[in-house]
Amino acid sequence: MIGYILRRLAALVLTLLAAALVIFVALEVLPGDPAAVTLGLNAAPEALAALRAEMGLDKPAALRFVLWLGGLATGDLGLSYTYRVPVAQLIAERMAVTLPLALMAIGLATAIGIPLGMLAASRRGHLADAGVMAFAQAGLAIPNFWFGLLLVLVFAVGLGWLPAGGFPGWQAGLGTALKALLMPALALALPQAAIIARVTRSAMLDTLQEDFVRTARAKGLSEGTTMRRHALRNALIPVVTILGLQFSVLIAGAIIIENVFALPGLGRLVFQAIAQHDLIVVKDLVMLFAGLAILINFAVELLYGLIDPRLRQA
Amino acid sequence: MSSVQDKAPGGKRHWWLAPSFVIGAVLAALVIVAALVSYVWTPYPPTQMAILNRLKSPSAANWFGTDQFGRDVFSMIMVGARNSLAVGLGAVGIGMVLGTTLGLTASVRRDGILDHVIMRTADFTHAFPAVLTAIMMTAVAGPGMLNAVVAIGVLNLPYFARLARGAALQVWAQDFIQAARAAGLNNRQITLRHVLPNIAGILVVQATIQFALAVLAEAGLSYLGLGTQPPNPSWGRMLNEAQTFMAAQPWLAIFPGAAIALTVLGFNLLGDGLRDAVDPRLRRSR
Repeated sequence: MIGYILRRLAALVLTLLAAALVIFVALEVLPGDPAAVTLGLNAAPEALAALRAEMGLDKPAALRFVLWLGGLATGDLGLSYTYRVPVAQLIAERMAVTLPLALMAIGLATAIGIPLGMLAASRRGHLADAGVMAFAQAGLAIPNFWFGLLLVLVFAVGLGWLPAGGFPGWQAGLGTALKALLMPALALALPQAAIIARVTRSAMLDTLQEDFVRTARAKGLSEGTTMRRHALRNALIPVVTILGLQFSVLIAGAIIIENVFALPGLGRLVFQAIAQHDLIVVKDLVMLFAGLAILINFAVELLYGLIDPRLRQA
Repeated sequence: MSSVQDKAPGGKRHWWLAPSFVIGAVLAALVIVAALVSYVWTPYPPTQMAILNRLKSPSAANWFGTDQFGRDVFSMIMVGARNSLAVGLGAVGIGMVLGTTLGLTASVRRDGILDHVIMRTADFTHAFPAVLTAIMMTAVAGPGMLNAVVAIGVLNLPYFARLARGAALQVWAQDFIQAARAAGLNNRQITLRHVLPNIAGILVVQATIQFALAVLAEAGLSYLGLGTQPPNPSWGRMLNEAQTFMAAQPWLAIFPGAAIALTVLGFNLLGDGLRDAVDPRLRRSR
């Protein structure tokens, strides 16, 4: 077991390093002069020289890569060119929006998807099943940002119940802040809920064939208890896996949704950084997003190995 | 295998008569026809502005209404179809050709060094959703349709690599491969003459599904302004512009979104139907 964990850890470190290398090459080596990209065509030579010195561009690329890795490890990510504040501080501020948004979305997606999947599995071939499967097809086809716009159209423009966008900050009170995150989280949750409903349904259909479910029924447990305590528990493994694997999709979705609702989160930050050619921020944020996706995948694989010893051989 | 099999009336089912496949085929055909017809005819030139006729609701003259410049939304959606299909085709093409090549190469010597390197690299691209790749490309080279094609293509690559490798490994285990070897064919010849034709069906099925995902991803990128640039109409950017005028003219936010959703739905259903045809064992398993 320890050998397995060590092997996975080594793979994790290698993967993170490879991701960092790709990002570094794409954003610092390929552009030629990142300082010139940041400042644009009409930059004054003095400003250019100053920024080059600040970004350490006089040093060879290999050294800069190592320094950047060191910065990533210690949390010292340099200064944002546009905001003139440490990137780490920017990330911490914006994380206070993106993290709750992502958690809300995962919560909503699970709360919608799992019951729907269970319903479909228990009514296989009936109207409810067909309804859930139709919902899943629609959820996968509807772009989440369009769903977000439709929500705005109905609940902000039409009914005026919720704000159309923006974020008042957590100091405005928990209720007000959560209200601002509700529609974005719902939009982000839709495709995830569709996928979870599908996976839950097929996993439930598999476990419902198992002997232990028949035993549970035979010993007189109610259908509801059988479903929840025996079938669902065993069906949860694939569902949790999908949640982990869908994480990078969630990140991509958050970048778009934060822009739809003008939420000051990490997604909006990276998007604004592109518009401002702030390559320092772009580089650190892309690394953060990619690193998170890699870490979550690692956690899912490790969890799998813990549950199923056969997988430790691989 | 599940014991609750789907009822097959008369013991036989024609996969191409399944309602979802028919709906998918019709929707996909509709989009393709709209894109092709837009080259020779649209109700109005898609970039023609008529400022006095701005933000109109759907009518006999403008079927889907007009936008903030008085441009005909129906014409823009027709031309936008070209863009979605072109990006989808390019992205899936890149992913399919490169991914399949890598997957087939990996399958020749199972568990060899090349196999491990290729498959780990394919796993690795998972960490880069299309929007991240597009963000990096845009930050360096500025926005454009090519970014979208490459970014979504990179995303497609591992799917095809994994699928091609898995399916090819099954073919390599067949007896006729031994026969081909005995006949003096080398690995490359066997791959091209025997392995590839045997896995082509499932690759096409996957391509249909990936195509739907690509259209969805392209819409997101062009909504963010990272994809196709003006004045070429694109569904995603139409939604972005609609957001500003949504309160005054809600229809603007309805039609482009519906076009994306129906296109994605169409190709998804088409892919599901084709999968049933290629591999009946998978029928209704999900």
